[in-house]
Amino acid sequence: MATIASADELLPAESELRAFRLLRWRIVRSIIRQVMTEARLRAALIIALSALLWLGLFLMFVDGLRFLGSVNLSPDLYLQTVSAIISMFFAALLVMLFFSSGIILYSSLFRSRETLFLLTFPARVERVFLHKFHDAVLFSSWGFILLGSPVLAAYGVTAGAPWYYYALTLPFILAFIYVPAAWGAACCLLIMDRFPGSRRKFLAAGALVAAVVAAWAIWSTFARTSHDFLTVGWFQEMLSRLQISQGKLLPSWWLTAGLLAAAENMWAESVKFLVLLIANALFFRQVAVWIAETTLRRAISAMSSSPEAHRIVRSARRWQMLERFLIGLPGPVRLFLVKDLRIFCRDPLQWSQFLIFFGLLGLYFLNIRRFSYNMQYAAWVNMLSFLNLTVVGLLMSTFTTRFVYPMISIEGQRFWLLGLLPIRRDLILWSKFAFAVLGTLPPSCLLVFLSDVMLDVDTLVLVGHQVTCLLLCVGLAGIAVGLGARLPNLREESPSRIAAGFGGTLNLVVSTLYIVAVVVLTAVPAHCYLSGDFPVLLQFLSDRSTAQWWLRAMFFGGMMISVVLAAIATILPMTIGLRAFRQLDF
Amino acid sequence: MIEFCNVTRRYGSKVAVRGLNLLVRPGEVFALLGRNGAGKTTSIKMLVGLLRPDEGSIRVCGHDVVDRVRDAVGCLGYIPDSVFLYEKLTGREFLEFAASLRGLSRRESEERILRESQRFQLAEFLDTLTETYSHGMKQRLVFASALLHDPRVLVIDEPMVGLDPPSVRMVKDLLRALAASGVAVFLSTHILDIAEQIADRIGIVDRGELRYLGTLAELQAELSLPHSSLEQMFLELTESNGRPARIEQWRTLGSEPASERKSEGISGA
Repeated sequence: MATIASADELLPAESELRAFRLLRWRIVRSIIRQVMTEARLRAALIIALSALLWLGLFLMFVDGLRFLGSVNLSPDLYLQTVSAIISMFFAALLVMLFFSSGIILYSSLFRSRETLFLLTFPARVERVFLHKFHDAVLFSSWGFILLGSPVLAAYGVTAGAPWYYYALTLPFILAFIYVPAAWGAACCLLIMDRFPGSRRKFLAAGALVAAVVAAWAIWSTFARTSHDFLTVGWFQEMLSRLQISQGKLLPSWWLTAGLLAAAENMWAESVKFLVLLIANALFFRQVAVWIAETTLRRAISAMSSSPEAHRIVRSARRWQMLERFLIGLPGPVRLFLVKDLRIFCRDPLQWSQFLIFFGLLGLYFLNIRRFSYNMQYAAWVNMLSFLNLTVVGLLMSTFTTRFVYPMISIEGQRFWLLGLLPIRRDLILWSKFAFAVLGTLPPSCLLVFLSDVMLDVDTLVLVGHQVTCLLLCVGLAGIAVGLGARLPNLREESPSRIAAGFGGTLNLVVSTLYIVAVVVLTAVPAHCYLSGDFPVLLQFLSDRSTAQWWLRAMFFGGMMISVVLAAIATILPMTIGLRAFRQLDF
Repeated sequence: MIEFCNVTRRYGSKVAVRGLNLLVRPGEVFALLGRNGAGKTTSIKMLVGLLRPDEGSIRVCGHDVVDRVRDAVGCLGYIPDSVFLYEKLTGREFLEFAASLRGLSRRESEERILRESQRFQLAEFLDTLTETYSHGMKQRLVFASALLHDPRVLVIDEPMVGLDPPSVRMVKDLLRALAASGVAVFLSTHILDIAEQIADRIGIVDRGELRYLGTLAELQAELSLPHSSLEQMFLELTESNGRPARIEQWRTLGSEPASERKSEGISGA
């Protein structure tokens, strides 16, 4: 029989920490071993694709910074401009990290069976919190590292930074990530403790407020300037607008100032900012721990008695009407479509994210004339229209990665039910495909149409963009559904964690490459054709009209290749996915 | 050992547990019975510190489960109805983690893991990842982890789920043996045969209220059904079948079964 000892005596904090570290190490080791023995090719592919994406971003940022250097600016103004751009970039990431870590922590702390399991042991609540908090930080920050590190590396290369600039980058990034993650965690805990009954509505409202603030910031930053584009006056006006990102109390500014100081060979100044960031990271981490200590158990208990846990929804009639409206589709596909739409609409976290992203983009497109310069230049308008198309495509790829890719994994957990239904398994997958296409096609076509109308592009481009949009939606749906079926994660219950995992990352990378390929195939010939800028072609062809004919042919040729690419992007992953899904055991 | 003092717990407007008073002593096997949604799992979750009572208090080994939750859960072992395991750990690694969170030294941990692996016949799969385990294997592993630290209180929600007949027999014997060594065993189950075979006392909950508390013999005497099975008496108490259930009749007539007037374990009904 165990002797009577208090939990503190029984389990010293150091032993507890060792136990959790050992747990994490053993899990990581086990996963690595499994990947190395069972999925070596898959791991190599994802590493190669991620490296390719990183390299692409790095080269793009190097090019951008070199272009900035080529504009006739004084060294001071150049440095200020670079500082403002990097500050703005990291300020935006600061906000995103705050939200993503809060949301991921909510699902991993409050909706996880592991938390409940750990709380039945005499472990300290703060240790349980930190265990899950570090998971959330890892899941929410991989994108930050993928996006942030090429920016910093590109700046180091173009500025000719000393070696310690690169050495300091990692501690700067780690300390920086901790601050918004701790804010997000603290807010998540407080919301769950104070508003357990309306947490989803609260989160949706918070996200909406953030979106409105972001829209206002974009609006005021990119409004038309009183100076000509890329002149000294224009730069100064833009700098004054970007002041908001250079607030001296913002961690993103400390990061920027510290790394710019390192690049300028001022190591003492750089270390000062690093220490400031680390001190704040530790402080806010401690604040989050204190909040967890007092609220976590209470919040978990309160959550289960909140009305949200026992919601009753009465809305059968409108769904029946929708089902009837989807004529032409096979019965089971309609049923699955309506079921998925129901789930989507009943989860404010899902539809609010969708609404915010598409809403913000719509707002931007509606005001594109206000933001754009040199509307009279066909080349500029054309480039902008293709950039907008790319942004819509990337947004769709995040939608398919976040919402469509995890659907098969989530469905797979109930596969015992689906597997017993008297329907062909293929229909389940095709219903997901239909859901993805129907969910992305109308908003993306509308957005691109809006952008093209506001930019007053050529009819040829407008029609081409609508076709490209269709190709993107179909291809992205095929990739997400196919990969989701081929790489299901049947053990994870949180869609955000499924999306942030290996398969989700692969889906995002493949989707991005597909978007880039399709847009480049259609954009480059159209850009040359409409801008009349085709010197290379003129070298080989005798007259301008022949060159124009060739460009038109290239435009349609690019379109045709895009159609073929879309067919491959749809058919290949769907075939692989269908094959895997048919063989899935339950 | 386990004390529920006038405990009430609500889910929104629904009262899941109402005014529960209960005392389970060392060396006793207590079975809480009831239909789905009667309040059994809520009572257990409050007992292990996962839910907090809205009113009243619960003490385990003298520790309040809200104010001194770590001390309270430190002296109990808990086997939930749906088990959680780290799928990327082997059974042994899982047990080592559980042992370290219970404050056992490395040596104690090794000894106890050996003991439990023999008791639950885990040896042949202890060094494989738990993601490959069947439901029964998982259940046996969780039993082993709950007993590693020799708890003074054992709380089990549906103890026989997924176990094969030899394991069921072994668990029944084990629970009796644990009780004989002074452990208080608190279990909730739908399987009335198990309660009938191993429980010293039973409690029957219905719609959040403890309707009956006492031994099987006392219940037979209360209902004037001397040779009835627990199943018959349970249905008699909780199923109306078009006529008022016995508990409803007692309430209507203003009389109470004798067991409810006992000094310990008085229901709030």
